[in-house]
Amino acid sequence: MREEIEESDLLRFVEGDCSPDEAAAIQAWIAADPRRGELLHELRAVWRLTGPTTRPWGVAGARIRLLHSRGRHAAQRSAGFSARPGLSRGGIAAAIACLVAGTGVWLLRPRAAPVREFATPAGQRLQLTLPDSSRVLLSVGTRLRVPRDFGLRARAVELDGEAYFVVRHDPRRPFVVRTRQGVTEDLGTSFDVRAYAQEDYVQVVVASGRVSLRAGGADSGLSLRSRDRGLIDARGVLTATSGVALGDYLAWTRGTLVFHDAPLRDVVAQLGRWYDVDIEVGAAPWAGERLTISFATSSVDEALATLAQVLDAHWTRSGRMVRLTPLHRQG
Amino acid sequence: MLNSHRTSLPTLQHRVPPATQASPHGWESAFQAYYIELCEYVLRFVGSAEAAQDLVQDLFLRLWDSRGPRDETRLTRPYLYVAARNRALKYLRHRRVVTAWIARAACDETPPSDTPEDLCLRGELDAAVQRAIAELPPRCRAIFVLRRREQLSYREIAARLGVSLGTVKSQMWRATLRLRAKLAPYLARPGIPEDRAG
Repeated sequence: MREEIEESDLLRFVEGDCSPDEAAAIQAWIAADPRRGELLHELRAVWRLTGPTTRPWGVAGARIRLLHSRGRHAAQRSAGFSARPGLSRGGIAAAIACLVAGTGVWLLRPRAAPVREFATPAGQRLQLTLPDSSRVLLSVGTRLRVPRDFGLRARAVELDGEAYFVVRHDPRRPFVVRTRQGVTEDLGTSFDVRAYAQEDYVQVVVASGRVSLRAGGADSGLSLRSRDRGLIDARGVLTATSGVALGDYLAWTRGTLVFHDAPLRDVVAQLGRWYDVDIEVGAAPWAGERLTISFATSSVDEALATLAQVLDAHWTRSGRMVRLTPLHRQG
Repeated sequence: MLNSHRTSLPTLQHRVPPATQASPHGWESAFQAYYIELCEYVLRFVGSAEAAQDLVQDLFLRLWDSRGPRDETRLTRPYLYVAARNRALKYLRHRRVVTAWIARAACDETPPSDTPEDLCLRGELDAAVQRAIAELPPRCRAIFVLRRREQLSYREIAARLGVSLGTVKSQMWRATLRLRAKLAPYLARPGIPEDRAG
């Protein structure tokens, strides 16, 4: 514990960057002089005015810790999941404190417990290792549901959002990704699945190996190979394109967003998830435009400046709210 | 080419509801909706984020355990705030924190949820806040923005700017004091939940 407390220590106290013991010492120090209480009050007000939260809280990590504790409570044991912080490149804050993978033994017979659900909020990614040592990188604003008996007979997960899978092939236990509209089954491979509930399509891009993709309910589908992109549209129609630029589709896994001839609507939606902002475009003249643009910055303001420049727009941001307006009227 | 399944797989027909929407998983919705708020609230009592997170986590765990995940009746904002506050006060007493602090904390009111009026006021304030930040000396401002907006740790800021940890801390303090002076008229303004809690 510290011997002398200074006024500037209040900042750590406001932000919660204290151990419980330090906090107790600072509390005693504050209580000893009303002026200190007043200062604390003002510092908190400054904090409140200058940001939405006092500090990053890592909701996704807390959720996972809670599910783990809950699992232990219910079944008195731990399971073989591990979660690692999202890559912190590209300004995607690491969300998760490191979780220890229990004994590494995947015990069976779960009580009637819910599936495990991993979720990333906007602005955060998460890397997971599943019990079969397949790896998954969850993109921003994504949920992955993994049944408790994952790996026992089958390996099936449910996805809402976007994730990159590196799957260990096992012909006896196919790895299946179910989404709202389609089912992706790996045949030993790395692939990206994109199926945000807000978008009306499922897209699968294969980096290596083979993948089969079928619409929900269908018995057969398409077989995709490396550099193939499969798409299931809103009506459940399947199409495939060969020889796509993998780098563009997988750029997000390295912290870059790349758009090729994408509707502004999609660009804005993804930027919103990526940087955790709400971008309002309104009925501006560019509303129907398609953009080719990439963002490699961790700074939301830099990204917005880039977008505004391409659109010839003016942008303002107030907290999470972003507004784009025409720079000058077009004749 | 297709490897069809022996077992028939149900396709995923339902969509996972967004976090804010009411869903059968009341616990889940409550967690997504209130976790941060509650951590912020409890932090005001305990001053240690570590302790605050533990307390809030414990609260959700107990609720889930004792009520079952589908009982939503207790997962309302007012209930959660009262429960969080009781836990925080109990924690402070348990740790033998000075009674003067506990008395002070006990007067802390539950922050009301934002009314449209609050949001409006805040928008108005925002211009003043942005101006005050813009008027900070450049280095001071850079450090403050990296901390408050980019949410980098002090260590990360030091590494990024190539300055010492001590410099980052002293500049942060300086920035805070300047903002406090600049924003003085707004710090006691009614309508900001902070100020309703003494």
